[in-house]
Amino acid sequence: MRRIAGIVLAVLLIGGVVAAVVAGRDNGDQSTATKTVRGVIGSEKAEFFADPDVVKALAAKGYTVRTETSGSWAMEGLDLKGYDFAFPSSQAPADELAAKYKARQPLPRPFYSPLVVVAHRNAAEVLAAGGLATLDRGQSRGTLKMAAYLAAADKDRTWQQLKGAEKYGELTGTLYIASTDPESSNSGALYLAATSYVANGGRVVASDADIDRTAPLMHKLVSVQGAQQPSSDAAFRDFVSGAGNPLVLVYESQVAALLGDQQSAGDLTVLYPDTTANSDHTVVPLTEEGRALGELLSEDPVLRKLAVRHGFRPQGDAAEFVAATAAHAAYLNQRLTGVRQAPVPTSKVLHEMARRARNQGDPT
Amino acid sequence: MSTGTSRRHRLARTAALALALLTASACTAGKSSQDPAAASKPGTLRVLASSELSDMKPVLDKVEKDTGIKVRPTYMGTLDAVELLAKGKTDGVYDALWLSSNDYLRLRPDAAKKVVSETSVMSSPVAIGVRAASVAELGWQPEQVTWSQVEEAVRDGKLTYGMTDPARSNSGFSTLVSVASGLSGAQSALTDAEVTKASPRLKEFFKGQKLTSGSSGWLAAAYERRGTVDALLNYESVLKGIPGLTVIRPRDGVVTADYPVTSLASTDAATREDVRRLTEALRTPATQREITDVTHRRPVVASVPPAAGLETSRRRELPFPGSRSVADGLLDAYENELRRPSRTVYVLDTSGSMEGERLSGLKRALRGLTGDFRQREEVTLMPFGSEVKSVRTHVVSPSDPQSGLDAIRRDTDGLVADGDTAIYTSLEKAYEQLGADRDTFTSIVLMTDGENTAGAKAAEFDGFYRQLPVRQREIPVFPILFGDSDRSELAHIADLTGGRLFDAQEGSLDGAFKEIRGYQ
Repeated sequence: MRRIAGIVLAVLLIGGVVAAVVAGRDNGDQSTATKTVRGVIGSEKAEFFADPDVVKALAAKGYTVRTETSGSWAMEGLDLKGYDFAFPSSQAPADELAAKYKARQPLPRPFYSPLVVVAHRNAAEVLAAGGLATLDRGQSRGTLKMAAYLAAADKDRTWQQLKGAEKYGELTGTLYIASTDPESSNSGALYLAATSYVANGGRVVASDADIDRTAPLMHKLVSVQGAQQPSSDAAFRDFVSGAGNPLVLVYESQVAALLGDQQSAGDLTVLYPDTTANSDHTVVPLTEEGRALGELLSEDPVLRKLAVRHGFRPQGDAAEFVAATAAHAAYLNQRLTGVRQAPVPTSKVLHEMARRARNQGDPT
Repeated sequence: MSTGTSRRHRLARTAALALALLTASACTAGKSSQDPAAASKPGTLRVLASSELSDMKPVLDKVEKDTGIKVRPTYMGTLDAVELLAKGKTDGVYDALWLSSNDYLRLRPDAAKKVVSETSVMSSPVAIGVRAASVAELGWQPEQVTWSQVEEAVRDGKLTYGMTDPARSNSGFSTLVSVASGLSGAQSALTDAEVTKASPRLKEFFKGQKLTSGSSGWLAAAYERRGTVDALLNYESVLKGIPGLTVIRPRDGVVTADYPVTSLASTDAATREDVRRLTEALRTPATQREITDVTHRRPVVASVPPAAGLETSRRRELPFPGSRSVADGLLDAYENELRRPSRTVYVLDTSGSMEGERLSGLKRALRGLTGDFRQREEVTLMPFGSEVKSVRTHVVSPSDPQSGLDAIRRDTDGLVADGDTAIYTSLEKAYEQLGADRDTFTSIVLMTDGENTAGAKAAEFDGFYRQLPVRQREIPVFPILFGDSDRSELAHIADLTGGRLFDAQEGSLDGAFKEIRGYQ
């Protein structure tokens, strides 16, 4: 048995596609050609795996994939016995899981997506008039000026203090971006990564002193929100159904997928923070089948194309995304012009930042 | 036997649980997922759910037809459900959780870690439903009304309302958070200091609350019956189902329930797969359309518009408290300081037939209840046999709550079983005892283990009740079916007085007493 695994491993190194087929056959699964692979995934990928075309493409390669969703940072707390892979939304939780389950590096990273802020048109215009954002003329997209936003948040600025907000009943209360819980969910943690980078003078937070310096602001950004959504999917659903805060942090992929599904996105406006963080969707293989699946997602042209349909940017080739989203260029900053990507702190630092942001600004 | 392995497995995993719980779980499990031969066949999901979800029955029946997944709900208030989850008492007993919101759950790390995934399937904001005539009198433009305007109308004595009990009902809890956030002037998530600061205003506001209830259904019925209450605070979906109400979502913000179907870490992968399939089925456009048409909740899928009659203008979402201390502090303040106090006469059958286990059960239940009485509450114990044996009234004083509670316990311990069963004569005495309504939530609890055998007859009591002044007729009797008591006799008393029958033959006496708390 160990030898067979060794062979599979060797094949894997040669090519994911071949390995997938071999792995599928290798497991004594005689009744059908497909092999069931189980994984825990971030909620934003649930629709990708549920898409009948994805199911078909995976079946063509010999796979039936069963998934459950979980917050990326909450995966650490789950018993992953019996699963073939975990698929959190960024590298930091993936690395922790890989260490815990002794998964071999490098980990497959099939696609990524930057964090964006969604707003309705009136909120975006009020922000622009207040100098917190710029809107691209005639388009449904713009840029959120992070430094200006953080300065406003630091001073507890309210919507009422911004010119033009009085016309809209829903634009009252403290001005803030709603994110997910940074202790359990990836987009919330990445929000801290991006904002702390700006607050730390354009340097990634690395030392205790950096954490101390940025903690009060991070605490403010989180505590002002009260109870937070556990997943980016839930936060975006709320926004779509007309409930929730005027500004919501989501993945670009969620917006792109919505645009792909619908003719009109109403008065949705997508604000790209001038400093943002990317979610690198990273597969943590727990079995060889899991690794083969990860490689397949990275390399199979059909699956890459389907990933783009769900709004993700496949690693390595920007042109695929740009071409596929041409119809939605009014909403999407396809080439991420003017968007700087903040490096993400180590998971240890990120954990500590999240803990102090949720609990209090001071060390305990 | 094919189910042996999985049952043993379950046993091993939940070894810490009480034996009783285990047996119950083994008996009621009956999931086809435990039978390997039927692995792909339908499963039954035992779901701990918010009681408002009973209106989802037609939708769930259809989902069952399509997917083969049957939902077997057990209804419970948010706080109790979260408590159960945190203590591990849901392990092996429930397959999923489906509350109106998981906001409170997330404030409890011990409960939150029991959750694997949660997916919102519909939403409904807290709203205020106002009698059309009152809207006109107040001169309100429904789209423009703010929480402050509601508060002003209450303060001026122009608006009274009913709401469900926040400690026992999801809708009540969300309403409380909406009102507190709306009236505190807080610009972001409530803090302890803001709750304290807003207390005087909130107290003023809750003076306008004339009806309380443990469930949305009874609240609506009591509102119809009373006829003098102007409005109800509840979820938009509930209010839309009550004829004659203008449903207003205050312009300055609401708290929205988003009904997440939640899978649990204590369940196996096959169960969680069923939960996922259930969720998927609930989120198809066809089901979403049915949900919004049938239940007046809002869809969460962008391609499905809300049902006709649901306003689509946007509202700010008021932040839900981010810490347990704020949420629990608010609840505590509501129960003990902000709301009008309750005033209750417990008419307790201590006739000869109560001798033995029944009487000790009653004593146990009453002693258990003393942990639940609120500050300022007035409790009268009125044990009866052939006639009323004694009338003892105690008040749980905020300065010294213990002495009142101790006195109730002492009186409870002194109960003795003898005599016949004079139900109606004793009830008449209870009404006389309560006299004219003070500024309290006033009610009578009737616990009896048999039929009426002495004193006034049913028809005489009917006559007595009908000649009472209007204000006294508003006092409901909540009878508890226990031992050999007669369901139709007690149901008649509940109907006559606008109360509700509670069943301690099916359930427990403790459970019935606790449930009635929501109505007091």
